[in-house]
Amino acid sequence: MAAHQVHHLFHAPIADHSFSSDKKTLAVARENNVELYQQSGNKFALSDELKGHEKTVTSVDIAPNSGRIVTCSQDRNAYVWEQTPTGWKPTLVLLRINRAATFVRWSPSEQKFAVGSGARVIAVCYFEEENDWWISKHLKKPIRSTITTLAWHPNSVLLAAGSTDSHARVFSSFIKGIDTRPEPSAWGERLPFNTICGEYLNDTAGWIQGVAFSPSGSALAFTGHDSSVTVVYPSAPEQPPRAMLNIATRLLPLNSLIWNGETEIIAAGHDCEPFRFCGDENGWQLAGSLENKAGEVRGAREESALNMFRQMDLKGQAQADTKLKSTHQNTVHTIRAHEEANGVVSSFSTSGVDGRVVIWNV
Amino acid sequence: MSQINYRTINVDALDPESSANFPMESLLPATLPQAASASDAASAAAQVRQMLRGGDPEGALRTVLDTAPLGGDDRAKEVHLATVIDVLQGIRQGEMTRILEGVCSGDGGAERADCLMKYLYKGMSSAAPGSGTQTPKKPVSPQDTGFSQIQARNLGEGGGGQQMSVLLSWHERLVEIAGTGSIVRVMTDRRTV
Amino acid sequence: MSQSLRPYLQAVRSSLTAALTISNFASQTSERHNCPEVEANSSPEILLNPLHISRNENEKVKIEPSYNSVRISIRIKQADEIEHILVHKFTRFLTQRAESFFILRRKPVEGYDISFLITNFHTEKMLTHKLIDFVIEFMEEVDKEISEMKLFLNARARFVAESFLTPFD
Repeated sequence: MAAHQVHHLFHAPIADHSFSSDKKTLAVARENNVELYQQSGNKFALSDELKGHEKTVTSVDIAPNSGRIVTCSQDRNAYVWEQTPTGWKPTLVLLRINRAATFVRWSPSEQKFAVGSGARVIAVCYFEEENDWWISKHLKKPIRSTITTLAWHPNSVLLAAGSTDSHARVFSSFIKGIDTRPEPSAWGERLPFNTICGEYLNDTAGWIQGVAFSPSGSALAFTGHDSSVTVVYPSAPEQPPRAMLNIATRLLPLNSLIWNGETEIIAAGHDCEPFRFCGDENGWQLAGSLENKAGEVRGAREESALNMFRQMDLKGQAQADTKLKSTHQNTVHTIRAHEEANGVVSSFSTSGVDGRVVIWNV
Repeated sequence: MSQINYRTINVDALDPESSANFPMESLLPATLPQAASASDAASAAAQVRQMLRGGDPEGALRTVLDTAPLGGDDRAKEVHLATVIDVLQGIRQGEMTRILEGVCSGDGGAERADCLMKYLYKGMSSAAPGSGTQTPKKPVSPQDTGFSQIQARNLGEGGGGQQMSVLLSWHERLVEIAGTGSIVRVMTDRRTV
Repeated sequence: MSQSLRPYLQAVRSSLTAALTISNFASQTSERHNCPEVEANSSPEILLNPLHISRNENEKVKIEPSYNSVRISIRIKQADEIEHILVHKFTRFLTQRAESFFILRRKPVEGYDISFLITNFHTEKMLTHKLIDFVIEFMEEVDKEISEMKLFLNARARFVAESFLTPFD
């Protein structure tokens, strides 16, 4: 099997992508629409378009069990799409926000989803049977800026959010009648709606770009625009965390991250390639890139020594190339687990500005 | 009634909930050191110069970066900047890489690298003051050239070239060791030097 | 005193690489808007600390990064008044044709001769490292261009003076 599968879908940025649970359907956010691709052989072919948003779609998520698709966009709306015999039917969600919706994810229970927004609120949405529509409750305090990313705890109650105010926060999104009371954990015991279970800020204070709970839910990792990854191990409710470890890297900022087991994190971002971090409570470090560029041979276009030195003197670089050595040719926006079992990821997928979706084997 | 032109009032500035009034102090971590005064910076400077004279440039650089007044006032920061630049200028070209490797390794090495990067950018911005704050110089030519729309400015090779070239060569070496991530952190870190 | 241009351009290159890590961002202040935050300047947390790189007092670059855009301002070397006039005319010529340059800003930031505004839409369409190459190339070419124009101007002036003074021979 090849090291990774590259699917170059089009020449436009992919804001977000999501696979269905059987991995046959791929939804990607392309400008104002969401495109659905069906696997046929080794390729993904365009099968359907979800049209309805008026501005850039920022995020898309397919619920693994119900197959429902939720999308949100900078036009302040979110839609839940359901498959009917006549095609995909959108239902508008009552978000009650007045700025762009930036990020959406289904909770693991699929009863709820959370929408982050530029209105400095997170809308936690659930289905109300009586009125037959999706309504929302707002998580508001103490968010001071745009929400950039969200992640659900496995118990579907705790929600981690990253924001451009450089704080990563853990909230309770407990909704009576929808959720079952969660087990008490290090994050908190009683968890009414909008309880703040943790609020974390790095020393170097970059905008938070990606958050993720570890598979067990007992640790939180977040990455920011300061090119670092921070891992937090909570101790007890209302107590400072047991450990908060910051890994400052020499890379460009990372946009998104996933856990692979409890001791490994995979993250990707502006360097256009995924990186692996390893560690535990006692310390984390960057283990290296997952991309093997060693096989790369120098192009046949050998330049004269004079030319090379001139380049170095004038431009401050040795060789000018149009093609990057990495698989992705531009920033990676989203990284998602593709196939996993018990929290251990065997393959993951990335998508980015270059219009490619890549499936990597770990 | 007093004459207020209500159209010119920036209402956003008066709304505490407005995003224009983001509390920037909330971006400072709780671990920020106590505010240092100019006299603290001066005493640190004396200690560092002592080390520099004593032939320990690596120790001097390490100390000067560890004692950076991240929480200090502008005066303290200025004094400290001058000390850092003195130390950087006091180290020979050939020794830069070796000393940097020493300073940027070990406990807190990454923080020192980031701190040094901040000083390099600060050094380049302050030693060449922006023309906006400068007092306008009188035009070079005795007659009116007719190019009145061009503001007068100091011409010539420009001063500060020597110091800049030192800072630029430090910058180059530091990027090799600490990577572009270090520059990214100069931009994001609100604990300025 | 001549210092090599290389460390200066190298510093600009690495700083630009770090700064051009931008992504799409919808405005927090105006509904359904998406504008370059560095120009809108409406929320302080979306702007980052600006970076200054200078070779000497008259040659410097200012990089102002934000979430979805970066403004790069360049001050071009001007050794005397002729160069000063030439730079002014040259940059004016370019800025008047800004729409065909995509990333050129119509008005330079105060204290600088020419400014570029790169947004996330530019980095999405074009390769980031090529954009950086362009800025670097511009910086080295403009110096050359100005010196050439100055030589040309001097040659012309000499020729004109000679032809005017011939009758008095």
